[in-house]
Amino acid sequence: MSILIDKDTRLIVQGITGREGTFHTEQMLSYGANVVSGVTPGKGGQTVLGVPVFNTVREAMEETGANASVVFVPAKFTKDSAMEAIEANLPVVITIAEHVPVHDMMICYHTARRKGVRLFGPNSFGIISPGKSKAGFMAHSIFTPGPVGMMSRSATNCYETVFMLTTRGIGQSTCIGVGGDMIPGSVFLDLLPDFQNDPETKAIVIIGEIGGNEEERAAAYIKEHVTKPVVVLIAGKNAPRGRSMGHAGAIVNADGTGSAENKEKALKEAGCHIADGTEHVVEILSTIL
Amino acid sequence: MKLLEYQAKAVFDAYGIPTMKGIVLDNQEDVAAKIAAAGLNYPVVLKAQVQIGGRGKAGGIQFAEDGKQAQEIVDRLLFSDLKGFRVKELLCVEKCSLTTEWYLSILLDRGAKCPLIMFSPQGGMDIEEVAQNSPQSILKLPVDPLLGITADTVRYLCSKSGIGLAFEKKLGDVLTKLYTAFLEYSCLLLEINPLCVAEEGGLIALDGKVDIDDSALFRLPDVTAWRGAQQEDPLIKEARTFDFLYIPVGEEGDAAVMSNGSGMLMSCIDLMAKAGIATTAALDLGGGATAVRIREAVRIVLSNPRVKTLFICIFGGITRCDEVAEGVRMALSESRDEKQVVIRMEGTNKQKGLEIVEATRGALHVGGIVEGVRVLAEGRVQR
Repeated sequence: MSILIDKDTRLIVQGITGREGTFHTEQMLSYGANVVSGVTPGKGGQTVLGVPVFNTVREAMEETGANASVVFVPAKFTKDSAMEAIEANLPVVITIAEHVPVHDMMICYHTARRKGVRLFGPNSFGIISPGKSKAGFMAHSIFTPGPVGMMSRSATNCYETVFMLTTRGIGQSTCIGVGGDMIPGSVFLDLLPDFQNDPETKAIVIIGEIGGNEEERAAAYIKEHVTKPVVVLIAGKNAPRGRSMGHAGAIVNADGTGSAENKEKALKEAGCHIADGTEHVVEILSTIL
Repeated sequence: MKLLEYQAKAVFDAYGIPTMKGIVLDNQEDVAAKIAAAGLNYPVVLKAQVQIGGRGKAGGIQFAEDGKQAQEIVDRLLFSDLKGFRVKELLCVEKCSLTTEWYLSILLDRGAKCPLIMFSPQGGMDIEEVAQNSPQSILKLPVDPLLGITADTVRYLCSKSGIGLAFEKKLGDVLTKLYTAFLEYSCLLLEINPLCVAEEGGLIALDGKVDIDDSALFRLPDVTAWRGAQQEDPLIKEARTFDFLYIPVGEEGDAAVMSNGSGMLMSCIDLMAKAGIATTAALDLGGGATAVRIREAVRIVLSNPRVKTLFICIFGGITRCDEVAEGVRMALSESRDEKQVVIRMEGTNKQKGLEIVEATRGALHVGGIVEGVRVLAEGRVQR
């Protein structure tokens, strides 16, 4: 098992004819991902790396039975592409681009919720179930199959942790980039039930950071419903207030809301293991597993 | 991006939200003539265009009864320093005869992921105290972004706040326009404070705050043009020209951090702080770490005179370590100061990168973040 993405996932790449889209389609295919179709308006009928291209998501679904999409289009077009996939009722839609306007995501978020579509990103590396499939741009060579389910607001902190885990022989069930923006399509809270119910996942890692209250919401759920061990890293304890730290969502308000202290306190009270750095996450996991 | 007051006023004007008639003064010549030419009636208010709290109490807002007084105020206030900020522009508006000050804003609520209307009949200078002491007097109303503002939204605000349904049409008019501006300008915050009830009963936006999502600036050319007037650290502006994000972190310390991702940047700062090293600046490279870009990034960070040591932490599957190392070598060879760089890098061509670092004076390679922090704490970079 794994969650969201596996060998049976039939993937659409939106923006497949673009530079990034083509490059990462090749990467995904080489990893064994089942990329069944691509979508670029106006390029329908072509093929890219043997993958048929369609003008619309709906046609791609009808012709190739796709059930997930990864959106490799620039930030300014992400809303239109994501909305097309959401309106077509694709069960899983993953957006990659950085700097997507937050108002665009607000509309995508609420539309996806109403239609029961699971939306991920933006500003996300995607989703990988090591050894099975990947939908995104993560450097897959550092991942290996195993018992750790991971979700992260940061790509670099996730890679760093995965690299050390793999080096120590600890693999991963599924790793999800929830993204670093203010309105992510899915938040930690949405994914906890999946990991809790996944028999392959033996421990859960949450890599959060300052800003917002998603870590606190996750803590409340963990306390009541999660029986698996949860290891947490919150980045940004020493970031200045009122300043975005690069991720649009990583900002502590002037009044202190969104601070790392609040988040760590809530998660600790929920019984999570709190790590002070990526290496510490790996140390904790190696004692638990 | 947070707009200055006169820029916020321009947004209100563009949407037909009533404001006081006014002009922007950016030099001291012929003040009375300019006020007359703009058709402003005295008394006027001269307001320093700086983004500081307590602007009025700091002397940044002054009243003039005639042209002579206005000239005197401009001579004194324009180009002066207010709480460390240079006053480069003054907004000159007619003084408003008002009866009451309200508060009205729309902000993007991260928790609920939707716009949130905030309204209070007790607006003005002390809104933060009101929020602290009687939070119940500030109404908060979430908006379903797929439905927008509905008729009952305004009726609720008028009724619940106690201002009464007599204001339903006027408040509704302002709120509808404000909401349209909120969407079209991709705002994180759009605030009118105070929203004045003038003596003749009309509503006037007397001051405002606008915070616009930086990611939406590509579709807002008029806002982008305002960027030059913003008061920012010059290093932030310089870094932006290369698509880097430069972050002033603190006044203490002489260390800086650079990474290809925001998360790792924060992790490094945290681990350094734990080891007693204060970070003064950080730079997010984003993607595409070519030698030339790395050189510019290192140069920008080291040009901050506070920075003595730079910790570069780069981890990405497709990052080329030789490019990173070459960029550092170029920047250090062009720097006249004795500054030090500690590099942690993981990626392709690592061996080639290590050889370049080895041959670069002032640079040291470390195997991981924890080792890097240890080296910085022990101060054993210099070779």
